[in-house]
Amino acid sequence: MAAPMELSCWGGDWGLPSLHPESLTVMAYAKFSGAPLTVNTINNSWRAPKGDVPVLISEDIVISQPAKILNFLRKQKYNADYELSAKQGADTLAYIALLEEKLLPALLHTFWVEAENYSSVTKPWFASRIAFPQSLYLPGKMSREALNRILLTRGGPPLYSLAEVEAQIYRDAKECLNLLSKRLGTSQFFFGDMPTTLDAFVFGFLAPIYKVCFPRVQLQEHLKQLPNLCRFCDDILTCYFRLTVSDPALIISLQMDDNLRKSPQHPPRKLTTLKLAAGGEASSSLNRLSP
Amino acid sequence: IPVLFTAAEPWPENAELYQQLKEEQILLSDNASSLAVQAFLQMCNLPIRVVCRANAEYMSPSGKVPFIHVGNQVVSELGPIVQFVKAKGHSLSDGLDEVQKAEMKAYMELVNNMLLTAELYLQWCDDVTVEEITHPRYGSPYPWPLNRILSYQKQWEVRRKMKAIGWAGKTLDQVLEDVDQCCQALSQRLGTQPYFFNKQPTELDALVFGHLFTILTTQLITDALSEKVKNYSNLTAFCRRIEQQYFEGQDKDSSAAVAARSAKRSLLR
Repeated sequence: MAAPMELSCWGGDWGLPSLHPESLTVMAYAKFSGAPLTVNTINNSWRAPKGDVPVLISEDIVISQPAKILNFLRKQKYNADYELSAKQGADTLAYIALLEEKLLPALLHTFWVEAENYSSVTKPWFASRIAFPQSLYLPGKMSREALNRILLTRGGPPLYSLAEVEAQIYRDAKECLNLLSKRLGTSQFFFGDMPTTLDAFVFGFLAPIYKVCFPRVQLQEHLKQLPNLCRFCDDILTCYFRLTVSDPALIISLQMDDNLRKSPQHPPRKLTTLKLAAGGEASSSLNRLSP
Repeated sequence: IPVLFTAAEPWPENAELYQQLKEEQILLSDNASSLAVQAFLQMCNLPIRVVCRANAEYMSPSGKVPFIHVGNQVVSELGPIVQFVKAKGHSLSDGLDEVQKAEMKAYMELVNNMLLTAELYLQWCDDVTVEEITHPRYGSPYPWPLNRILSYQKQWEVRRKMKAIGWAGKTLDQVLEDVDQCCQALSQRLGTQPYFFNKQPTELDALVFGHLFTILTTQLITDALSEKVKNYSNLTAFCRRIEQQYFEGQDKDSSAAVAARSAKRSLLR
């Protein structure tokens, strides 16, 4: 068919193929439409990202924004929206606009601006995947760009302080999540049984909020109260990305992280001391109780 | 439906809407926003008087026009005005179910995201339009050099915003493509219905009318923008229908009728 296509984008963690919403959108669309993409995640040995990630390279053509990449894939006959009516196509555009206007600012804030989140999770994660010396300044640059974007688009009067802007964008994001949940209802995807462009975009925006473990998680908590959206993300992850939460390697690594963060002591140690105190018979039942 | 009358007084007769000067100063995007609010209030059957002031932008609590002055409260921009009017007991979208309300909000964001941004781009980032139309109009009530300073300041602000959202790298043709895509979506959603949610107009109809009517009736350097809208006959019929129903047949001072006439006459300098 077409020439081989390579996608370079940010990698994933916490059960996701990518942490970056736009990269995730493109990867999801490629899975839905069956496009054969080779995915190269950016790591230390890769050439420095020019800031416009995700990037699709096909022969000599280099395309950089998700909308343009999706257009290119459609022209190559990888079209996930084939079955949609004209009105549904129009709805797709409208809901994508809603996501960008109402949800994206809060998403950017959670990842890049919220101080605790940024310094404990986002910055180390991205810095570990960028080669030195870019790792020293690129995360900071991305953080400043995110804050800039939030302030320029949402920060005018009558909101005069960053705290007021933050409150407003989180309110808008929660309302957006509610609207998405109402629109999805009980169906599997937004337009019936087959996933389309809109599903790719919604997944790209929601999955990072849903899965990434931040210290400050008000948006994630709100999302978890909308079970149909959580089910939507999990379905796509299991069906199209074959990464389930029951993946043993992932569970072990997650548990290891949890244990490192909390106390290093395991309950079984306490049980052994109890066993010595309680005596023979009780010891066997206590043993059975241990996890 | 009367709400808490202790908190909300009824709509007074002397409510006013402020915008910039119609003939000489107001720009495409502000005219569109103002017309949208006027259409919305007409649809709710609430009387409003349009007042033109050169410093309307500075008087507004959010820095954006239009804003309305009702009783002793000042509210600006369509979104907050819709909320404010709803608190007074008037609403156009009460009859919609939850999924329809979600759709309505999504389409309003589409218009803001694509049409309004395209209008701002054309006014402030397209060099020819900026030189010939925007700079002369924007600062026209003020003496030199204030007019140029204010106009350059505003241009710098808008260009910063365009850069932050990724529109600075777009060419005019790409922007017109986006406008076409947006109009196509609106046209497909409207179909053959009289309004977006069939029989009754909502705030979405007011917003779409404000933008499309202004684009159709404002003369710019080229007709490329209005041609994009004219490609969709159901959209032009929609604008004509709302104009006839809500704006004509009123006294000659009616805001939109005058705005339409003056917009048709607004030539490049």
